[in-house]
Amino acid sequence: MISPFTSLLFAAAIGGVLLLFFWPDSGLFWKWKRGLASTRRILVEDALKHLHDQEYHGYTTTLSSLSGALTINRDEAAKLMARLQSIGLVKTIGDGFELTPDGRKDALRMVRIHRLWEKYLADETGVAAIEWHKRAEKLEHHMTRQEAEALAVTMGNPTYDPHGDPIPTASGKLPPRKGCQLTDLDVDEVARIVHIEDEPAAIYAQLVAAGLNPGMQVRLLEKSPQRLQFIANGEEIVLAPVVAANVTVQRLPKEAETNGSFATLCALGVGEKGEVVAISPNCRGQQRRRIMDLGVIPGTVISMEMTSASGDPIAYNIRGAVIALRKSQADMIQIKRVEEAVEK
Amino acid sequence: MNEAATVNSDILEEAASLRWEIGDNMHDSLIESIYEDAAKIADKVVTKIGEKPRFNWETTLDKLLTSRIFGFPLMVVMLTLVFWITISGANVPSGMLASVLIDQFHPMLKSLAATVGLPWWLDGLLIDGMYLAMAWVISVMLPPMAIFFPLFTLLEDFGYLPRVAFNLDNMFRRVGAHGKQSLSMTMGFGCNAAGVIATRVIDSPRERLIAIITNNFALCNGRWPTQILIATVFIGALAPAALSGLVSAVAVVSIALLGIFLTFLTSWALSRTMLKGEVSSFSLELPPYRPPRILQTLYTSLIDRTIIVLWRAIVFAVPSGIAIWLLSNIQISGNSLAEHIINFMDTFGLFIGLNGVILLAYILAIPANEIVIPTILMLTVLSAKMAGVGDGAGVMFELDDLSATMTVFQAGGWTLLTAVNLMLFSLIHNPCSTTIYTIYKETGSVKWTTLASLLPVVMGLVICFVVAQVWRLLF
Repeated sequence: MISPFTSLLFAAAIGGVLLLFFWPDSGLFWKWKRGLASTRRILVEDALKHLHDQEYHGYTTTLSSLSGALTINRDEAAKLMARLQSIGLVKTIGDGFELTPDGRKDALRMVRIHRLWEKYLADETGVAAIEWHKRAEKLEHHMTRQEAEALAVTMGNPTYDPHGDPIPTASGKLPPRKGCQLTDLDVDEVARIVHIEDEPAAIYAQLVAAGLNPGMQVRLLEKSPQRLQFIANGEEIVLAPVVAANVTVQRLPKEAETNGSFATLCALGVGEKGEVVAISPNCRGQQRRRIMDLGVIPGTVISMEMTSASGDPIAYNIRGAVIALRKSQADMIQIKRVEEAVEK
Repeated sequence: MNEAATVNSDILEEAASLRWEIGDNMHDSLIESIYEDAAKIADKVVTKIGEKPRFNWETTLDKLLTSRIFGFPLMVVMLTLVFWITISGANVPSGMLASVLIDQFHPMLKSLAATVGLPWWLDGLLIDGMYLAMAWVISVMLPPMAIFFPLFTLLEDFGYLPRVAFNLDNMFRRVGAHGKQSLSMTMGFGCNAAGVIATRVIDSPRERLIAIITNNFALCNGRWPTQILIATVFIGALAPAALSGLVSAVAVVSIALLGIFLTFLTSWALSRTMLKGEVSSFSLELPPYRPPRILQTLYTSLIDRTIIVLWRAIVFAVPSGIAIWLLSNIQISGNSLAEHIINFMDTFGLFIGLNGVILLAYILAIPANEIVIPTILMLTVLSAKMAGVGDGAGVMFELDDLSATMTVFQAGGWTLLTAVNLMLFSLIHNPCSTTIYTIYKETGSVKWTTLASLLPVVMGLVICFVVAQVWRLLF
């Protein structure tokens, strides 16, 4: 029989190799599988999306912008453009390139599928915010037009993706861009976030960490070349201007500001009551529906009943039923305190 | 395009552009307005007779049951009590059923078959194979389930179990699972198939899958007898006579605790890898306390849980009885098929600290863990060619006498390592076919059923392997 030491060593080696290959995401097997997927069709589709993105933001597409966005070299980018021109999707204009009407139609279809997927990942799965874009980039290339429409129908034909980008309609319509960068606001101006750019990922991660979401109200407190200080839904946030530039906002009249800071459900002590003001947009999809179905909607008065023995889930009295919520959930429900005197 | 169609498409375009203005908050507004209307109607038509706060004793009880000091001890006491009643209460009816079904009815059937003149193979197949497997499953399985399920349902009905989930949720949250998994896990100690069904109370898809896949690590009552027998014969015997009972009890409880530890470990790993992308949403209702409806509880827990699970187990056990009998009685070049298979698997079995008999027994006993020990005994006698023990090839048996059991194991070449690894493997192997079938029914997915079936058996083989190698290094 093999000596126990050798066999243990052997097994450890096999285990190590398996881990190396199949470690989630960074395993060699997954890398190899991803490598197989980057075919010519995918390059074409990504190029169309890039052309559309540039056009939407009012920039011209050049060979260098394309090679940068697709991480390919200039020669490959030139070949790709030549190919797109030969099938009539792209035309040259000065130094750059522009989509033909046919090309725009195809591009909008890709954009639609991409944003539908992002919406789906955000609402119907538990995938982390930082991964939505990355996964949608992969998924969008494996979907027919019919499948995309079926996906849209199951979600009730959404109009915006989770970053606030409008989703093109099936017939390829897209509303004009609106709003300005958060950095363009003046001190004390009030605005609503309409869009959060998901690329580059490092900057998007910071915006996610700050808890920013489309739909939130912001008021600028202080602005300098080094830092931007503002209030978003009652919380004070500081960002570097380069990060804040990835947030698009729409100015609101000064009077529209809803009053200042709210506590969250977590802040209630035993027996204390609060009236729901809003549910954070971070609470989305099934979780949001569930909480709202339980009767947590603006105006509901909730009282805190008790804490569990281990401290975390906390039981609240919501419309007569005792429901336990985790701290992370209670934190997404904004309330204003109700004094006992308000009792009916 | 005619004029009407142009107008139509204009309207559609207009509608589409208006949708951008409205945004995606429509669903929120919808729910809000539904609640608003409902509240208005309720105000109009429902008369409230005075204020009706939650009863005082209820609040006090809740404070006690969820308090930081008493919450956990009370829970441990309550669950220990339930297990103790189940185990001690099931012994007597289990013994009675066994003596009636196996010791009395089986010989009666045999002599009846002899009088009728049934050919030996038909008699063996029907009575020694099918009947005996069924009788074994019923006598081991029925009493504990008939006690455990009603008790459990009573606690549920009273409203205590949601409080347990409430208290334990913090631990489960950390491994990415749901507090209610504590309930399906506890149910799993009674029967994994019932535990898998019990995961229906978990409304979040991801957490429910985790609970289903890890339920098998709760040591079900079909496996307790194996653990207790092996612990008594091998591990208890190591200690001085006065302490042997205690030592073997500690060994069995350690295995059960290891199962709980593996539940957490596997939940943690699954929620971070394979189940990362599944939806997760939490909410847990704490219903008011209610006096339990005893008769209704007895009825539903006996019919819905016990009888259904028992029926599924019998359906699966009967073919396995046939397989066991056939394998032991079909002879090829002087040896039975079972012996050939055992010899074939013995090298691998011994390498990972088990043996061929155990591996074959676990394959044959996929339908029901209850028949593992009888099958192992029968196969050991068969392959060691012992005379005078047991009732012949293909006839499962158990011995009343512990030292006689030990003799059989020694004849099979068992060591302390074999015993320890058998206990480990009994905890960590594939779920029984009843459970596998239930998992398929509950998840409706071949993928998750395969994962739930293969993950534990691979883990079990790896753990047995590592334990065997380390053991050989040390001793």
